[in-house]
Amino acid sequence: MKTEKVVLSFIAVLLGILVTGVAFYLYQATKKSPNTKTKIITTSVSTPTPKPSVFLSVKDPQNEIVVDKKVVTVSGTSSKDAVIVILTPIDQKVLTPSSNGDFSTTLNIDDGQNYIELTAIAPNGEETKTTRTVSFSKEEF
Amino acid sequence: MKKLNIFISSILISVFLISFLLISKTYAQTPSPSKSLIDNLTSKIASRVAQLKLVEKRGIIGKVTDASSTQITTVDLLGNTRFVDVDEFTKFASSSSKTFGISDIEKGSKLGVLGLYNKDSRRILARFVEVLNLPEILHGVISEIDSENFALSIKTEKNNFSIDVETSTRTFSFDSKEGELVRSGFSRLKIGQNIIVVGFPDLKEESKISATRIIIFPDIPGNPKIKLSSSGKNSENE
Repeated sequence: MKTEKVVLSFIAVLLGILVTGVAFYLYQATKKSPNTKTKIITTSVSTPTPKPSVFLSVKDPQNEIVVDKKVVTVSGTSSKDAVIVILTPIDQKVLTPSSNGDFSTTLNIDDGQNYIELTAIAPNGEETKTTRTVSFSKEEF
Repeated sequence: MKKLNIFISSILISVFLISFLLISKTYAQTPSPSKSLIDNLTSKIASRVAQLKLVEKRGIIGKVTDASSTQITTVDLLGNTRFVDVDEFTKFASSSSKTFGISDIEKGSKLGVLGLYNKDSRRILARFVEVLNLPEILHGVISEIDSENFALSIKTEKNNFSIDVETSTRTFSFDSKEGELVRSGFSRLKIGQNIIVVGFPDLKEESKISATRIIIFPDIPGNPKIKLSSSGKNSENE
């Protein structure tokens, strides 16, 4: 008699959980947010600035690097038909990249802070520029 | 009743055994004094290494926008605002003054700063600050040539500049067939040519540049963003 009561209670609890679960699932499935609370957000897409037909990516030197030699290696990648102009306050190099667009050269720099301006010029005259700052110093600090 | 006693006893024994196992495991994990010391040292070394990696030597060039007794605010060559901290170990230099100091820094002047850059705070603790007088680089198209006065006008994307060609000015031309720079002269300059001028602006007139170097590109047209007006003229043709 006692066992029967326990089994029946157990079955009743199980049934209760099952019914509650089904009811909760149905409630969630039919739930809809009212239209008045829905906001339509529109974002305006600005017209992108046309990119120049030539690209320039500089591998070396790192920007703001401090070196202890007055000769700096400059390397990078650009469009293969571009002309690369590299200028420092005391030196200049103009070169054409290899067939895969890679270029590399060395330039002289002055004491203290130097800028290295790199420009890639496309055959139609369009330009892409970037600058690196390289400092020559042997000071310990 | 006997069964209930056995059941309760077995539960108690189980609880006792589990507790004993847990306690013994926790006790075994307590570090010995020597292990604690090693851990402490490892932690300190790791912290020091991180600190060293956090700070590195850097050099920047910037235009001063603000200066106080402990800080200089500049805009670097890429247009980013940079904060430079100054302390009692910072050395100052200027070609115009031997007693140059933080109080002599003026807004708009170009500074070279060498110091310790903190990657976390993104600030530079300056060790050397120097007033720079670097030449400007102009990319443009020749709009006018004055052969009598050895001067020319160029148009860049933003402005017009008048260029003085001095006897010391070095003129180069890019030979696209050879892929190299060759020496050239004033007589080779033509209106509409793609040109790069390196030089120093006049102290009174910023749009007047005294050229130190000129590079022309006879085989490359001018930047399509630069439109020459019909006023472009050569004084020789007048």
